[in-house]
Amino acid sequence: MDVSLFHPQSGDFAALTGFTLTDAHQSVTSHGNGLASEPVHGTTVIAVKFKDGVLTVGDRRATGGNAIMYDKAEKVLALDDTMLMAISGAFSKAIEFVRFLRHSFKYYERSQLQSLSLDGKLNEIGRMMAGNLAGAMSGGLVIPVIAVFDQKQAVGRIFFYDAAGARFENLEYAAAGSGSVQIRGAFEYIVRTKGNFSEMTLETALAEALHLLEIAADLDSATGGAGKVLPLARTVTAAGVTEISDDAIRVALGASTTTATSI
Amino acid sequence: MSYNFYDFQNAIQQRNDYVDDQLRDGSPVIGISCPDGIVLFTLRGTQRKLFEVYDRIAYGAMGRQSDVESIRIAAIDSAHREGFQRSEDDVCLSRLVGFGISPAVKQVYNDQRAVPLTIRALFAELHDSAADDVFCTLNYDGEYRISKGSAVITGVRSADDVAKDMLKDAGPTTRDEAIQLAAKVWAHAYNAMRHARKPGGDVDDNGVRLTPAAAFKGALDKGQVLEAAFLTRSTSKTSRFECCTLEAVSAAVANLDLG
Repeated sequence: MDVSLFHPQSGDFAALTGFTLTDAHQSVTSHGNGLASEPVHGTTVIAVKFKDGVLTVGDRRATGGNAIMYDKAEKVLALDDTMLMAISGAFSKAIEFVRFLRHSFKYYERSQLQSLSLDGKLNEIGRMMAGNLAGAMSGGLVIPVIAVFDQKQAVGRIFFYDAAGARFENLEYAAAGSGSVQIRGAFEYIVRTKGNFSEMTLETALAEALHLLEIAADLDSATGGAGKVLPLARTVTAAGVTEISDDAIRVALGASTTTATSI
Repeated sequence: MSYNFYDFQNAIQQRNDYVDDQLRDGSPVIGISCPDGIVLFTLRGTQRKLFEVYDRIAYGAMGRQSDVESIRIAAIDSAHREGFQRSEDDVCLSRLVGFGISPAVKQVYNDQRAVPLTIRALFAELHDSAADDVFCTLNYDGEYRISKGSAVITGVRSADDVAKDMLKDAGPTTRDEAIQLAAKVWAHAYNAMRHARKPGGDVDDNGVRLTPAAAFKGALDKGQVLEAAFLTRSTSKTSRFECCTLEAVSAAVANLDLG
């Protein structure tokens, strides 16, 4: 092990590990087996506020071109106890992002004996997105949706980034991935007819979000429905990150199905 | 006795004497396993002495604060580099100390032009059961010892013996019991250090031979603060390390018979 007693990295994890994303993404060439001729991509993820924080759901499908590569992909991942990252786009890059950010936040906290601020964490994600721009241009695009509980303001907040690392804050909801385009208008419909997501209970918000995910699965071949593998749902609140049980998801799916039938 | 600059034994002895003298008044650090996790305990002045290093590794030390920090940062840097470049599962205490920190400390100790590190350190590594927990104590000359169940660092050898004897057959069943045992061990070890300083033993203001309870109270009266940290075996959080609140530690050791 390489140990230096006199050259600490002062919380800079990228400097410590020499990690960089500036190398252009290496496109995957055809394996000749009829499967993925492109990098594996994650598809639809959704974040909506509810009265206690933010709910994030994601389907479980990962695709490579027209091939379904994996049906148990985890696309809603905790970066720490206050922040969730829902990932869409190139799966390998997204997982690399998450791994780096988890270590980076922990490294800062342990070495500097204080947590990185919310703004510091969001800037770090932006820097990572900007560092991946060359990779994004050659097939390694990742679009994350960040759900966070802001301890200072005591509210849940949702952020997303463009490919160059610009950060935007959403008021009520956000979605990313190939299926997000098809359901964009439905979010607005829900807000205008049923009220803000941020005023809903978790049960109501979960039913709405899963309903939207099912619509995305119906309209986008790259998004997996709940029929084969249940979606993944996690919340971030003042109490931290919580995974919603499969039973609760089944109940909520039942509620959304009932709603659909009644319509 | 004349000193010969070419006599390496004398040079080493003088370095040892220098550091031992600095550590003689330090505050012992105790680590104890219990079914729920690992407790680290000490009394400190103004600066923290118990820290998180990695997911399952904690660290406590006595000595100069700058040296305590040097070892802390080196351990954190090394563990995180290894954990990211390989896997979190590949970071283990025996490799971290044995192949990383210990040789670096030894290198400083061997450099006759440098002041040796004034430090004794204790590392703890949490496993799935208390029986598998690993402790490691590191000396200022780079020597280290691995143990199971518990570990202690003090300022003098006789205090080490007293503390190890008390910890030998101990098996606390809860976190509070572990804190209470650690407080007792601290009091007895610190008392032994006080007595080791004076031929015939140390006495209080009334000339009465100092007891562990009096040594403990004396340290608190002089402004030292209780400090405990806990590595928990069961949590839904991303971190297993927790600094115990002063209120919780004070409550655990209140009305404790320290002997």
